[in-house]
Amino acid sequence: MPLRPRWTGVLALTAIVWLITLGCGAAQAATNAEFSTTTNAIGSAFVAAHNAGQDGGNVSELVATLNVALNLLQRAQAENATNPAQAAADLQNATSMAAGVTAASASAAQAGNAARQVTVETSIGGASAIVIAAVLIYLLGDRIFRRLWIFVYRNFVVRPSG
Amino acid sequence: MDRETAATALALVALVAVFVALEPIIPTNQAGFSELGILGPNMIIGGYPTSITQGGVVKLYCYVGNHEGAVAYYQVLVKLGNGATQVSNTTSANAPEIRSYSFVLADNRSSTFPVTLTMNATGTNLRLIFELWAYNVSTSEFSYAGLWDQLIINVTGGP
Repeated sequence: MPLRPRWTGVLALTAIVWLITLGCGAAQAATNAEFSTTTNAIGSAFVAAHNAGQDGGNVSELVATLNVALNLLQRAQAENATNPAQAAADLQNATSMAAGVTAASASAAQAGNAARQVTVETSIGGASAIVIAAVLIYLLGDRIFRRLWIFVYRNFVVRPSG
Repeated sequence: MDRETAATALALVALVAVFVALEPIIPTNQAGFSELGILGPNMIIGGYPTSITQGGVVKLYCYVGNHEGAVAYYQVLVKLGNGATQVSNTTSANAPEIRSYSFVLADNRSSTFPVTLTMNATGTNLRLIFELWAYNVSTSEFSYAGLWDQLIINVTGGP
């Protein structure tokens, strides 16, 4: 059914208002405060990732995500004058990514601490086992060797060489 | 082999084995360091531009290496100085910053990235100074890492 002229006019007016609103929003360049928020979020995320790394966590994915966030921040700085809407979107994405890194750092640190604990326990356990084995060999080595020798050669018959 | 020799050999073997077992948890006391290098347009040490016209583009590559023992957040600042600009391993250059590059590097990793600079100022023996700054987790600020490189270039007026 064809639209009546009145409805066509209303729709056109709505579209114009929507475009103007969108245009006004796009014309607003990202502010220094918005850039500072993203920069601070990335800084905090880096500190969290750094601490997770110090705890022995695997931070390679966190580093990759932080670099993507930094690229978005630098792109936003470059395009803020020409494409402010895209700059604002990039800043928002970068801040979200930084927040994600901060959140993921906690679990990375936890995994690192657990892995480190296992390494410590394995190392100390291994060293203790080596010391105990050495002491046992020193104290009982002769006796064990002789018993083993007799066990291995139990069926041998000794004949006089003459 | 007499008993004393055997006991000594056993003790030595046990000592080495204990050291090997404990090696992963023995803390190392190595001083960390970073690396900064500027490469020419062909990604080699050489072929650096020496002269360019105003508005021309200088294409270089920057190499940064992280051996600090931890993940590091670096910033390479490119400054435009002249013969009077003071820069050292302790003091950064007091010159206008024309470009900056920020990135995070994992331990024992390096990054080589392109640097493209448009030269708008003219002059002879201008110094493109590259400084490495690192994010300090204690102060939450970038601080000068004490590493810098420079490229001396003449920028002549356009045609």
